[in-house]
Amino acid sequence: MRAFLRGHKIGTAVVSFVLVVALWYLFRPEKLFINKQVNEAAPFAQNDPDQPTYTGTFKAAIHETSGRASVYRNSNGSLSLKLTNFHTSNGPDVHVVLAKSSDPALAKRSPGAALDSLEVAPLRGNEGDQEYTLPSNVDLAQYNTVTIYCERFHAVFGSAMIQPF
Amino acid sequence: MGRLCTLAFTATLALSVSAMSAVAQDSKPIETGTLHGQVHATTGRVSIYKIKGRNVLRLTNFKTSNGPDVHVILIAADDAKDDDNFLKSNVERIELGPLKGNEGDQNYDIPAGTDLSKFRTVAIYCERFNATFGAAPLEKF
Repeated sequence: MRAFLRGHKIGTAVVSFVLVVALWYLFRPEKLFINKQVNEAAPFAQNDPDQPTYTGTFKAAIHETSGRASVYRNSNGSLSLKLTNFHTSNGPDVHVVLAKSSDPALAKRSPGAALDSLEVAPLRGNEGDQEYTLPSNVDLAQYNTVTIYCERFHAVFGSAMIQPF
Repeated sequence: MGRLCTLAFTATLALSVSAMSAVAQDSKPIETGTLHGQVHATTGRVSIYKIKGRNVLRLTNFKTSNGPDVHVILIAADDAKDDDNFLKSNVERIELGPLKGNEGDQNYDIPAGTDLSKFRTVAIYCERFNATFGAAPLEKF
């Protein structure tokens, strides 16, 4: 009887060990705490001025606005903002400005004078590809939203939050 | 002879210019998008580059949770929900490979002939539990 119990105990131990190993293998819980970091090089030449550094797509606010805003770093260190497939409505005194995505004023269609923004330039055209020069010391992590802004009526036509590549 | 030389020189110049512009095009993605995913906190950017006729998917600023049997796949859908099960929902998918790391920049070859007008979303997918860690809808660059 005692021998049977001992055998049984060993059986239980073996079964639970196998079960634990199977569960561990299935869920791999240690992976919750262990990160696997990789750092592969880009599949093209680095420091290519044609390589965009930030990009985002326009979302409409008070007027239909669509297209893409991308930032490029030129070989001399200056930053270019390119609008592509761009379309917005025409209007008086419309500017390209940089705003902060966290700014509650940006969520309003007519933020008044409250919008915290950096001027880029007057909007050259309400349709088509266009390029602007950004101040080279601009903090794009903070001023991360390209905004089409009507100065006359303090209205946001549309904006594109840009995120790094 | 002099004229022939000039001709050869011009031809070489033209060739090198076109080669340069081809290289310059490579660093501009054809598609890009940002990852979303809350259950397994997935963030970063996915971009597709055309390199010498092949399409390469690159993840940058990438972070997800580590897990068992996680893969990078393309799915025939406009987007995917957090924790989506593509097996159950019968979504067509293309395997790009096991996830190389849960953090950092990484590249994956896209099989030749993949129709990118149909496969519009990149998903980080746990094959063992059929759960989406994160997904990024692709947008034309």
